[in-house]
Amino acid sequence: MASAEVRQIRRRIKSVESTMKITRAMELIATARIGKAQQRVAKAKPYTLKMNEVIANIASATGSLSHPLLESRDVETVGVLVVTSDRGLAGGYNASVIRLAEQAVAAHRAAGREVRIYTIGGKALGYFRYRKYQIVHNWLGVTDTPTYADARSIANTVLDEYASGRVDAVEAYTTEYVSALTQTAHMWPVLPIEPPEAEEESSSPVAYEFEPSAEAILDRLLPRYLEGTMFGVLLDASASEHAARRRAMKAATENAEELTRILTREANQARQAEITTEISEIVGGAEALSGG
Amino acid sequence: MAKSFQVDIVTPEAVIWSGEAEFLTARTTEGDIGVLADHEPTMAALSTGAVKVEHADGMTVAGIHGGFLQVYQNQVTLLTDAAELTEGSVDAARKAAAGLREAAQAEDTEDEPTS
Repeated sequence: MASAEVRQIRRRIKSVESTMKITRAMELIATARIGKAQQRVAKAKPYTLKMNEVIANIASATGSLSHPLLESRDVETVGVLVVTSDRGLAGGYNASVIRLAEQAVAAHRAAGREVRIYTIGGKALGYFRYRKYQIVHNWLGVTDTPTYADARSIANTVLDEYASGRVDAVEAYTTEYVSALTQTAHMWPVLPIEPPEAEEESSSPVAYEFEPSAEAILDRLLPRYLEGTMFGVLLDASASEHAARRRAMKAATENAEELTRILTREANQARQAEITTEISEIVGGAEALSGG
Repeated sequence: MAKSFQVDIVTPEAVIWSGEAEFLTARTTEGDIGVLADHEPTMAALSTGAVKVEHADGMTVAGIHGGFLQVYQNQVTLLTDAAELTEGSVDAARKAAAGLREAAQAEDTEDEPTS
């Protein structure tokens, strides 16, 4: 009975509604994931805080820290680590990190420095590979729920590149979770390690008993510190990813609702127009018969 | 009652145990270390083994793998790569620690980054 126009509009409504189901489901999933990611951030915090405290204590005990990982050297080659998600549909999440990283790469090249690119997440890989950048290392399947083992694998690779002299500094481009509404892309200087500041300046240096020695402890401590910080950064990026996705999917769901409303109105109008036409046809036909 | 001190056993993923203790032993790379209250500030590298914490309610044992032990102002912090609380016996803790080490090594070998 429905005319072609009404049928077409109804079909569009159905398609919009089914898309809306998907976006709403993704929104709900992302919401649950944010909560989980934040819990993991909170759980990882004590380790990082204690680690910072220990390093600050060693610094105050030995006067100054000296270690190859802490010393900045003349930078000829920069390692750039880009942290993105594997999948899209997360609003501007990936775009803003990638933009920041690409600008940095361009700036390094303009200054005559070589760049080695490491990517975390399929989005950065796809972007840089498509633009014919050389990608030294790539990690996939990490960002959704990063584990400590992932952080360790990444930290070790970067450390290895640094220790072997292939790069003289490493910068990471990642997203910081500020709040549910704000996540900002920023640069984190990975190597050389910037020792954390002591929270409060202790008046007298602590006379530590080191077993085996301060150097040996530092040797083992700094890679751990890097792993721990890397883990924190990955967790933060993951929380940001889910928050960005939730926001994007929420907007998509709202758009779909609005679209259904408009389309339903159009469908009703078309149906009404059709009925009016039918009635006038009937009336016209009846008049033609009786009047003839 | 013996004087007590604060103990925190922390891994990157969670705080495993936290509380007041009277005596603690752990295995460092240099050998076993025992800590009582008012121990001098110490920083030690931990090896794989059992940590035993004696406190007012009895004893807590955990297997740990790697990390650091810091004693500072009556606070003992164990920053360890992996830890697992075990019921009661030190032997069980040692076994757990060995398991953690194997798990860590397995991870290291299979975790070759793809390029």
